Amino acid sequence: MLVIGEVRTCLLQNTAAANLTDVAELLRLEPGERVRTSERPVAYAVSPARLTGMDCRLPTASGARVRGVGTATARTTVTGGRILQGSVFARLERGASDRRLPWSHYLAMPGVIQSTGRFNPTDVANGFLTDPLPDTTVDFGSVSEQVIRQVQANPRLDHVTPFKTRRTRLKWVASAGGLLYGEFTIADDNLRNFTISCATAPVQAVVELCEDLALHDWLLTTLLRIVERSQIGASTSEHVLARLRPAIDHLLHLWMPGARVADALRGVWDDLDRGPGFSPQWQATVARVRDQLSVATFERLSQLRPTMFEQLASGGGSVGGAR
Amino acid sequence: MTNAGFREEAADSHVEEVALSHLSLELGHLYMDDYLAGTDRLLAQFRKVRPWAEAARSVTAAACGTQRPRVSTCFLIDDYFTRFSSPAKVLPDVLAAAEEGDLTIDYIVRESACAVTDGKLLAEIVAGRLTALPPPGANGSRPPPMDVGWLCNGQRSAGGDASEAMNRPTWLPPEETEATNHSIFVDVELWSDDDGQRTWSCAFLAAVWQLLRLGMIRDAGRNVVAPAPMVAELPDEWDNLPPVVRVTDTAAAFCAYRTMSVLPARFLNVEHAVRVIVGQYSALPAVIDQIATRSGREHLELPTDLTERIDHVFFNGG
Repeated sequence: MLVIGEVRTCLLQNTAAANLTDVAELLRLEPGERVRTSERPVAYAVSPARLTGMDCRLPTASGARVRGVGTATARTTVTGGRILQGSVFARLERGASDRRLPWSHYLAMPGVIQSTGRFNPTDVANGFLTDPLPDTTVDFGSVSEQVIRQVQANPRLDHVTPFKTRRTRLKWVASAGGLLYGEFTIADDNLRNFTISCATAPVQAVVELCEDLALHDWLLTTLLRIVERSQIGASTSEHVLARLRPAIDHLLHLWMPGARVADALRGVWDDLDRGPGFSPQWQATVARVRDQLSVATFERLSQLRPTMFEQLASGGGSVGGAR
Repeated sequence: MTNAGFREEAADSHVEEVALSHLSLELGHLYMDDYLAGTDRLLAQFRKVRPWAEAARSVTAAACGTQRPRVSTCFLIDDYFTRFSSPAKVLPDVLAAAEEGDLTIDYIVRESACAVTDGKLLAEIVAGRLTALPPPGANGSRPPPMDVGWLCNGQRSAGGDASEAMNRPTWLPPEETEATNHSIFVDVELWSDDDGQRTWSCAFLAAVWQLLRLGMIRDAGRNVVAPAPMVAELPDEWDNLPPVVRVTDTAAAFCAYRTMSVLPARFLNVEHAVRVIVGQYSALPAVIDQIATRSGREHLELPTDLTERIDHVFFNGG
């Protein structure tokens, strides 16, 4: 039993964070569909699922040729009116036939890709996490880009991004069996791999965990890049602060790891926080940003009221005593 | 759908269930020309339908075992492509002819209900849920090759452009994806737009009609069919007639696990197109699960493939 997926995470192209009502309209691409939204603990909306038909080779690490036919599910999420994700996934199953069946057979099991012969799940899982994939196999990345593009093209958005960010990709593989276990690896600047195994869980819960992980990885990656570009220690605090400002305005309040993760899978987040140390690194970086803010505030105030700070610095009485 | 490892999403409690008969039996479509041909023609048609209607009831009863079979009958009147006469005249004529032909019509439905019912844009909802069948090799890298407003059962012909390189074939034939040896390629026009006004094709509305009867359509999770009881004083305007009218008080539910349509052979092309469309309709997972669970509780065998839930009888001379 195997589920594979890819999540791409980026900034919604709008100057200000979009409110939840607007976001719900952005994600409602067809009439008669429902966008699920929640206000707490952070504004969040997820689009209805769309299906993409596929009939191509499944990725295999061994190079074994396995044909898969069926549909992948694609959806988009918007968090905090700011972060947009395109998420694509499919459950892989051994099909009952060694040839392609009528299309309506596959539409009766949405989000499932069936093989036309035997396949080794470990071989396919390893194959899927190789990058780049041969272009004859499933291309979830393109599907994810298509759904992201559809949202970004909406005229409700002003198509201005308040700061530059890079899109991150998370490819994930979930297999059933044994104890709950998750492993997160950084493959390159923008690509991350995640493997998870669990005894039993709804596909939806696994997808939500992977989207949550991708979201927080993007937040951390983006914050680290902003801090790196801010030239702390090499530039005036005014310049540093100007470069850090987008993080303060748009990102810091969105960190809520595990908020939407099912209880049964929450243990994975705890492990990741201990392993790669997501939260400790985030908190340390946020503290660094806030320190810079304190330094800049201190400098600014000292320019305005030099005598007050001179007295403070020389240990001469209270602030009030400066009068 | 349940597997040892990963389960599909639990049934979405926000998706309404609909009451289901075993069979929704369609006794005919009425277009203006049929009506103008007179009630004798209508009666002759009902007489041809009757033996097949009886056969459909027997088959359903046999499949139900010891259960009492629930069969509802319906009749579709076109008020979408042409507006003719009035409900106050047409409905009594149709019901009288059916009675004389020894048939009972449980529900009369206006064809325009397949486009819009009570403000719900059924045709648009169905169009939005089409997942075009992928040609071999499709891996998601390109959006599905669906020309706006058309849906086919394979790959369209290619080439024919004189500017193409000399050594390439100028024309490639279309290909039915699920062909057995040779293709029967069908390309269905779903709608046409004229001055911003969209007209849905007869084939597309007929597909909506089948999906509606199969209980497969929801509007934001809500049920879209609410049959209204027949009233003594029928309106003069079609717009004032409820989209779905329940004629008999004791009628079984309008929607059903399976449908059968008994139609004149001239509808064969339309119904072929219906199968092409229904075969590419992706129902909500929650709706698929609801109906599978309920048929399981009733110990009924129900194919998962939607097109296999639709039966037809075509007769000549209709």
